[in-house]
Amino acid sequence: MTHSTPPPPTPSPLLSEFSNDPEMAELIESFTSELPERVQAILAAVGEGRVSDLKRLSHQLKGAAGGYGFPTLGEAAGRVEDGLRATADPTTALKAIAEDVRALVDLCTRASAGKS
Amino acid sequence: MDPTTTQLEDARPTVLVIDDSADVHRLLKARLKQEEVELVSVTDPREGLSIAASQTPALVLLDLDMPGMDGFEVLRQLKDTPGTHHIPVIVVSGMTSMQDKVTAFELGAVDFVCKPFEFTELRVRLRSALRVHRLLQMLSTRAQLDGLTGLWNRAYFDQRLSEEVSRCARSGRPMAVAIADCDHFKSINDTFGHPAGDAVLQGLAKILRRECRNSDSVCRYGGEEFVILMPDTKPADAAAVCERIREAIEAAVWPRHPERKVTASFGVAGTSQATPNNPTAFVDAADKNLYVSKKAGRNRVTMTELSPSLTGTAAAA
Repeated sequence: MTHSTPPPPTPSPLLSEFSNDPEMAELIESFTSELPERVQAILAAVGEGRVSDLKRLSHQLKGAAGGYGFPTLGEAAGRVEDGLRATADPTTALKAIAEDVRALVDLCTRASAGKS
Repeated sequence: MDPTTTQLEDARPTVLVIDDSADVHRLLKARLKQEEVELVSVTDPREGLSIAASQTPALVLLDLDMPGMDGFEVLRQLKDTPGTHHIPVIVVSGMTSMQDKVTAFELGAVDFVCKPFEFTELRVRLRSALRVHRLLQMLSTRAQLDGLTGLWNRAYFDQRLSEEVSRCARSGRPMAVAIADCDHFKSINDTFGHPAGDAVLQGLAKILRRECRNSDSVCRYGGEEFVILMPDTKPADAAAVCERIREAIEAAVWPRHPERKVTASFGVAGTSQATPNNPTAFVDAADKNLYVSKKAGRNRVTMTELSPSLTGTAAAA
């Protein structure tokens, strides 16, 4: 008796608003290729409770992502930053933004330059 | 220094970007490629301040939230420093509260653009700030120019003289001041009319500008009197320049009155060594020598070498 396991769902890629702009192609490519590194840095900061590093990382991503044509990613980063600024106690702050971090990481993994 | 060359801005003005995010620099470089600007990118605010002072860019794009030194402090220091206070600053920031905007403008920013920015918007705001800056510069240059002759005016001369005299007091380098006055100018006006008098003043200005060097500042001092500021020039060399100018004026032929020559008298004062910081001493001594030239029959140059105690005796050159 065999039963087949369904393949894991492939997340739908998130494309840059400027994916048709030749002047931006190279920049988007380098931004998306560096995203895994940023995700690692964000997760490490969360894991080690480094709130100020997390604030800086999300702040930079908030400012940059929109420029590369990923406004939803920038907004997600903004929610993480705002959440951290709203609470003074680091432990409470990290707990409060856990869901926002998950959403941000999800968007980062889906962001694609459009060509593989 | 020829006023016409300093009046015009560079064709490609420098824009200094101070932002700690490498992404912003990359994006701006791509998005402002079509603009006629030279981008200088700096991630360290302190380095930004020193580049602003050494390169005096036409515009600064300044981020607020930077580690080490916040953008408001950078703005404050730019506006407190004489060499950079006139540079327009556009604040570009993700801190978008009303209070941040108000603070930025109160500290002297000309504009505020929120991050993440729309590049089309940033482009037009950048152009607008550069245009206003260029017009302001033109205006301040115009206020220092003489309308009739296009030479620098007395206000400009007074400012340059005090700068030069204090530099000379510090460094001990030579400098000289020459005053030239058109001989019998009233009689030219009375005989040939005021338009002819104006033409003489314009002609004299042209000869002065042609015979002087680029480093000299040629100014109309008032009426038919001109003054030349000569940095790094020993009094004897200044007198030689004036003698050359005197000959050129005497040789000139005037279309409105070919039969009537025009001449000018000169008074020169200068120093070859460190002198007390006293701008009026130079002008007074040059003026005294002009009087000596007039008394001795006009159309001549009289020069004085000022001693470190600022006394000197006139000698006909």
